[in-house]
Amino acid sequence: MHQGLRTTMAAVVTTIALATAGCSGAATTSSNAAPSEDYSATNPANITFWSWVPNIDKVVDLWNADHPEIKVTVQKQDGGDALVTKYLTAIEGGSGAPDVVQAEYQKLPTLVSKNALADLATVGAADLQSQFAAGTWSSVTLGTSSVYAIPQDSGPMAFYYRADVFEKLGIAVPTTWDEYAAAAKKIHEADPTTYLGTFSSVDAGSFAGLSQQAGAQWWSVDNSNQSWGVGIDSEATQKVASFWGDLVEQGVIDNQPQYTTAWFKALNTGKQVGWVSAAWAPGVLSGNAAATQGKWKVATLPQWDASAPASGNWGGSAVAVSSQSKYPGAALKFITWLNTSTDAAQALVDEGGIYPAATAAAAATLTEAPEYFSNQPDFYDVIAKSAETVAPFTFGPNVNVAYQAFSDAFGKAAEAKTTSAFLSALTAMQEKTVTDLKNQGFTVSE
Amino acid sequence: MSTATVVRAKSRRSNSNTKTQTRAAWFMIAPAFVLFLLFMAAPIFYTLFISFQRTKVSGLFGGTRETIWVGFQNYVNSFDSEFLASVVRVLGYGCILVPVMLGLALTFALLLDSPRTRSKTFSRVAIFLPFAVPAVISSLLWGFLYLPSVSPFSYILNTFGIQSPNVLGPDVITFAIANIGIWGGTGFNMIVIYTSLKAIPSDIYEAARIDGCSERQIALRIKIPIVMPAIIMTFLFSMIATLQVFAEPMTLKPMTNTISSTWSPLMKIYRDAFQNSDIYSAAATSVIVAVGTLAISYFFLAVVQKRAFGQEER
Amino acid sequence: MSTLTSSRTSLRRPHREAPSILATMVLLIGALYCLFPILWVLIASSKSSDELFSSFTLQPSVHLWDNIVALSSYRDGLFWRWMGNTFIYAGVGALVSTWVSSIAGYGLAKFNFRGKTAIFNVILMGVLVPGVILAIPQYLLLAKVGLTNTMWAVLLPQFISPYNIYLARIYAAGSVPTDIIEAARIDGLREFSIFHRVAVPMMVPGMVTIFLFQFVAIWNNFMLPYIMLGSDKLFPLTVGLTSLLNQGAQAPALYTLVITGAMLSILPLAALFLLLQRYWRVDLASGAVKA
Repeated sequence: MHQGLRTTMAAVVTTIALATAGCSGAATTSSNAAPSEDYSATNPANITFWSWVPNIDKVVDLWNADHPEIKVTVQKQDGGDALVTKYLTAIEGGSGAPDVVQAEYQKLPTLVSKNALADLATVGAADLQSQFAAGTWSSVTLGTSSVYAIPQDSGPMAFYYRADVFEKLGIAVPTTWDEYAAAAKKIHEADPTTYLGTFSSVDAGSFAGLSQQAGAQWWSVDNSNQSWGVGIDSEATQKVASFWGDLVEQGVIDNQPQYTTAWFKALNTGKQVGWVSAAWAPGVLSGNAAATQGKWKVATLPQWDASAPASGNWGGSAVAVSSQSKYPGAALKFITWLNTSTDAAQALVDEGGIYPAATAAAAATLTEAPEYFSNQPDFYDVIAKSAETVAPFTFGPNVNVAYQAFSDAFGKAAEAKTTSAFLSALTAMQEKTVTDLKNQGFTVSE
Repeated sequence: MSTATVVRAKSRRSNSNTKTQTRAAWFMIAPAFVLFLLFMAAPIFYTLFISFQRTKVSGLFGGTRETIWVGFQNYVNSFDSEFLASVVRVLGYGCILVPVMLGLALTFALLLDSPRTRSKTFSRVAIFLPFAVPAVISSLLWGFLYLPSVSPFSYILNTFGIQSPNVLGPDVITFAIANIGIWGGTGFNMIVIYTSLKAIPSDIYEAARIDGCSERQIALRIKIPIVMPAIIMTFLFSMIATLQVFAEPMTLKPMTNTISSTWSPLMKIYRDAFQNSDIYSAAATSVIVAVGTLAISYFFLAVVQKRAFGQEER
Repeated sequence: MSTLTSSRTSLRRPHREAPSILATMVLLIGALYCLFPILWVLIASSKSSDELFSSFTLQPSVHLWDNIVALSSYRDGLFWRWMGNTFIYAGVGALVSTWVSSIAGYGLAKFNFRGKTAIFNVILMGVLVPGVILAIPQYLLLAKVGLTNTMWAVLLPQFISPYNIYLARIYAAGSVPTDIIEAARIDGLREFSIFHRVAVPMMVPGMVTIFLFQFVAIWNNFMLPYIMLGSDKLFPLTVGLTSLLNQGAQAPALYTLVITGAMLSILPLAALFLLLQRYWRVDLASGAVKA
């Protein structure tokens, strides 16, 4: 009882403190032109940071220990989608947005088109360009001279498989998608309850990455007339869709969504023996498939054309500054440390299991395979090989709508279990995306 | 106060009494009314307002944004096949949920009221307990129980060599969602009906028993007609809740292919407003749903109100 | 049961029928159906994360305490903070809402003035508007005054409940005799004193019901706090537990913690019900329509 009361009191006190902080934040209107930021160790700049990265608060504690003048408070969020949802509502409302916000790359164009992000080029972010690969950097500039975010991690895709199962059945690691299909068939025939993978209608990001690998350009910019092109229902994506549709139709891979309890159980009990995923997979596997540790290995993605290896990205995120922040300069100092320093990168790798985007920091920290993959010392060499071959890809300003349309259309197709349903799902996705762009007022080149 | 005032006040005693009372009544209603204006009326009017608007961007990344009036365009756009499908789906869901839930609630209430039943306290508390579980939590629990590879039901069926059906598949998903609603709602409605059964004077039954009526006949011929008003009320509120179903399908959605983002009208509103950041379409759909609910409920409310306040205004 | 009671019963009911096994069975099956998921969560919360997906679902284990400890240490006891927040939201919100509803209901039931019916009908229409629809404009409104991401954002909108005003009006009409109000007026009491000193004691059972309704409504609410709050230190249990579940694609979901949390979150409300059930008069929801 006493304990409960004290907790209550503490909560009330914190609330008042937070309420006051919120009010003062809202009262000051920030001007866009060269903001003068006044802060010191005794009068620190208070910066709030929305992120979903596991244990990010521990990483931020390192910063706060050394930087009394810029005090960063982490507010943990559910995940990338939920964060953007809430963040855009706060932007729409005119107050309540954090200073610093984590965002997946595909969310950036949407955020920029809602005027939700500060242009960090005005506070000197352009200097950081040399720290990143050109492709990564272009996804935070959107091909303009502005800088909307600083890359934190990337998610080059890779193929994870149960080495013991492959060995037992005498299957070689697939290097092409045809071999993948053959392996899937063989594994399912050996045990009808076992699958090499599943087509997950809730993971649009994975499908986008696979389409990227196949050479698709879902969005493209026509600078001559400031218009967008939408190439979702294109030959490259159709190839990917009919490949998976065919496997689902034959029943050799599963059609259930990923990230469900059932799926985790299947990973744990050896009913799912492969996963087309990305560099961050060890974190997910160690948390939810602990029983099978030591049996997994990683390989680069199977290829469409083995002579021209390509890869895609799934996930990966950048850190941006809100257009409501009154400390963009201080925020950038913090982000620069977080995303480019070796200390922070090491902490992020250890605590969050990420794959740093900054090239020097990645080289310095990724010397040892993650614990879950201690059976495969060259883990990060494989990932690096994938990262080198990531195909160029542009995200448009309504990725949210396209991804939502993916889930709805491909959910139906996965239940229907026919290749033709997969292809018509693609058409539906294209239509929804184009209609929404036009509704918002963008010019769409047909 | 001068003598003159007092005299004048006295002469208008009754009149000023009514005035004081009216003023007091207004003061009493004021907090509720102000809160109502701020947190219900204002949001509703704002929703109505923006349902006729839309933001148009220009350039590649929305360089300039302007808000324009678009008339009924948002309404026309909202009234698409997805919306109609969601309405049909929710009606189907309601056709399962409302009769089953109220049927169970009535049965349990009558059993609790019957002298021939045992272990009443335990059953009453047990059946009411789900009301204490938030919809998101109960959907989560049922979600675990539904997934074939985790579910104890599938486990038991499988040990007997029976292939367990996929509860989250397209054929039975509506039942699966309705089941969560039934589980959460039966207890509350049972208590509502049971308490009004308790209010019936027991002499009525005595006479019937002496006439040789069985307990079943008493239940059917005496009890049910008397608690009919309570059943009508629970029916109305269950119906409104049905049209607003949201938390259950939303929580189950990531577990299955069969729940689309527009499964129910409210899910469509949520998707438009938050996932697609199109508050204008969401506002228009909101208005359609609210007006629809209002229209459907109007008849019931008219009946209920007449009965509810008839005696007071007499 | 004592002989006295049974003999009295048999005296009053000469044709008393024997216990029906069928009727009792039906009731017990209903009880079992309602208890089953709760039983499941109790069992599941006793399992370690390995066992959760590998052992038979209904086989209990011994890790309940470990799970509670793990949950309590998750981000420095954040779960207990959510529990505390939920109590603040539900407790304060329900208290204020009960007072606001009761006094308004009394005002609407016991006074005659112009515009009364109109006001009541307008408020009643609020029953029909779903919370999801209100949440966005409420957010935009509170953002204008800088109150989002504070406890006020969750509390203020839940002070008002049209349904509770409707209930309070019925209850005031039914339980406070007009003669007594008149007598109090003749004794020279002011209208507000009459409400607080005379009417409230008579309305207590109804007010307990309204309090419980609103307490449960706020306790179970997900949408409003989900939209209003950015900081997880302010979350109530519903939002907190779903955030634990949806950690995002790159982080493992913390199933054992979620399940243990769900189990613990059910307990306080269940205890509250058992404690207050004798005060609880749900019949006012139905009693109203008894002509």
